[in-house]
Amino acid sequence: MASGAGDWSAEQIDDYETLISTTDVELLKRAWRNEKASPEILPFEEALVKRAKEQIQLMEETVDDFAESGHDPLIASLYQMDLDRAQFLLRSYLRVRLQKIEKFMFHIWKMDTYRNRLSIEEEKFTERCIRDIGKHLEETVLSKLPDNYQSVLKQSIISEEDDMVPEPQLDTFIVAKCERATRPLYLDGSRQSASFDSRNDHFQMVPGDLCILRYRPFQEELMSGNISLV
Amino acid sequence: MAGQSDPHISLFSAEEVEFMAEDELIEIVPNMRMDPLNFICGDFGPFLPQIASQVPLWLAVALKKRGKCAIRPPQWMSVENLTRVLEGERESQGAFQVLPFHYVEISRLLFDHAREDIPDMYMVRSLIEDIRDVRIHKVETSLEKFSGTSAVKIPNLSAMEVNIIRPFVGRALQAFYKHDNPEKIPDVDRASSAQTRAANNEPRRQLRR
Amino acid sequence: MHGRKAYELVKEFADGEKGHLKIFNNELFERVIEECNEHHNALQSLIRKMQEEGLEVQTARNAEHYGALIHHLSLIRNKRCLMAYVYNRAEIIRELAWKVGLLHELPGEIQEKFSDSEEQYFKDHSKSLKSYMSQLSLDVNVDMVPPKDPYIKVRVLEDLGSGIILSDKSANFARHSMHFLKRTDAEQYIARGLMEELTG
Repeated sequence: MASGAGDWSAEQIDDYETLISTTDVELLKRAWRNEKASPEILPFEEALVKRAKEQIQLMEETVDDFAESGHDPLIASLYQMDLDRAQFLLRSYLRVRLQKIEKFMFHIWKMDTYRNRLSIEEEKFTERCIRDIGKHLEETVLSKLPDNYQSVLKQSIISEEDDMVPEPQLDTFIVAKCERATRPLYLDGSRQSASFDSRNDHFQMVPGDLCILRYRPFQEELMSGNISLV
Repeated sequence: MAGQSDPHISLFSAEEVEFMAEDELIEIVPNMRMDPLNFICGDFGPFLPQIASQVPLWLAVALKKRGKCAIRPPQWMSVENLTRVLEGERESQGAFQVLPFHYVEISRLLFDHAREDIPDMYMVRSLIEDIRDVRIHKVETSLEKFSGTSAVKIPNLSAMEVNIIRPFVGRALQAFYKHDNPEKIPDVDRASSAQTRAANNEPRRQLRR
Repeated sequence: MHGRKAYELVKEFADGEKGHLKIFNNELFERVIEECNEHHNALQSLIRKMQEEGLEVQTARNAEHYGALIHHLSLIRNKRCLMAYVYNRAEIIRELAWKVGLLHELPGEIQEKFSDSEEQYFKDHSKSLKSYMSQLSLDVNVDMVPPKDPYIKVRVLEDLGSGIILSDKSANFARHSMHFLKRTDAEQYIARGLMEELTG
């Protein structure tokens, strides 16, 4: 438990030890949890996914070898289980992202921040999704409406902004676990900051803390890995 | 088409919570010899008869099912500890005792697959059920303190308890927040006023340009 | 009453069983489209009237202006309802694409619920998913739930003898004997009540 604040060297050692002892499966599981629980799409874990795919492929070969060589079926079945677990995590991680893309494709596509978070394959997928649904909506609804009302993004030409585009709700509440001490955060906005802790207006988490948080003010803490979602 | 938050996209199923619990480490005592296992999720073993070894719960259960080991129940699962925890839960109204995040799933998996390895199994099981009930009741009664805030600490809540309160508390807090900050969450059916629009780039809804 | 038909359309979708499609309600849908065009005609004639009276359309605030505003808002409301109807159905169609679109043709009883454009959308989206997976050389539409131990312990409930050969072993499946089998091998016997799974 890191109770003594300011002890940087101990904290750095902790960080280092966590880093070398954390397996890719553990990292993938964290990425999967975060992606499942966050309202918006998160940056694609490119290096991690690449490593996980390689390890899975190697393990597939190992398991195949076991089967061919008539290796102890007990051990073969244990390796198969390890492989199944890693594959589930990888597939589920990628799947959650695709489902978010399907839901928020127009919004992701027009915002550089979000577009930059996609893998190359996801970017192509988003483009195709937009083309497919665009064609379908055009044919079924939009082409039958008066000229000024035919936009898929806007209610009518009078709308100055895209007011027909589903967006992720960032003021949604999430459950988070603290991995590394967060910086004290001043939660702006009226009486709210005072009610959870009357002694001061700053909210800080230490490792092991479990909290229910409004997503928006804690976005950065999530991106930097100080908190993870559960 | 307005972006509504979909609770289905962010919830973990019971199977998924169990899957996460299965990665928790637990001690086994093998009854056979086996080379180290170099898994994607880490290296375990070598395994020697009567020599205790730490493995993930899923592996422990798989070996147990195949008759290759005994599982040592974790310390917190002793009758003494659980009795103390139960007393503590009953005594303090607001606070929760320290238990592993996955105590419900871990104990259920052990009850299902390693009954004979748990001393006083029936006592342990009934203690855990009691603890669960007391805690869930406390979770329900302490919900009233979740009002109008952006961050609440929920110390020692377990995965299962989090899953139970998440849909309700999440929505309630969001409703409080929306109520306190009507200008922050766009509501397309509400007539726009110049002031809030300027602050938040809300979509315009007027005939003139 | 303005917007009534569009409301019925959305209500019909919302009242349906979650994740299931009813037949695309073409009649009601086309009626709402018609209404949209009627609103537009009314709106245009009001604006024409204002222009004939020499009023500045952008700034004038007379009865015609507010009439036009109401037609405009009604039209937008209808549009949102039409879009919501199609879009929400499209979400179900995408789910179907995940589940079956990559493997088989859709069963006829589902397909007949689709409009022509929806049928095409189902095919297009299935192709987009397939294309993503082939670029990645990874199927993401399998392993939908966390994996379980591929082997289970079973007890034989009826004498099955030694004639059964499973994928990785053959044994004498005498009544009451216990075995450790692949889940996929055992499932058919469990389903027929010939074996039972043992836990603990």
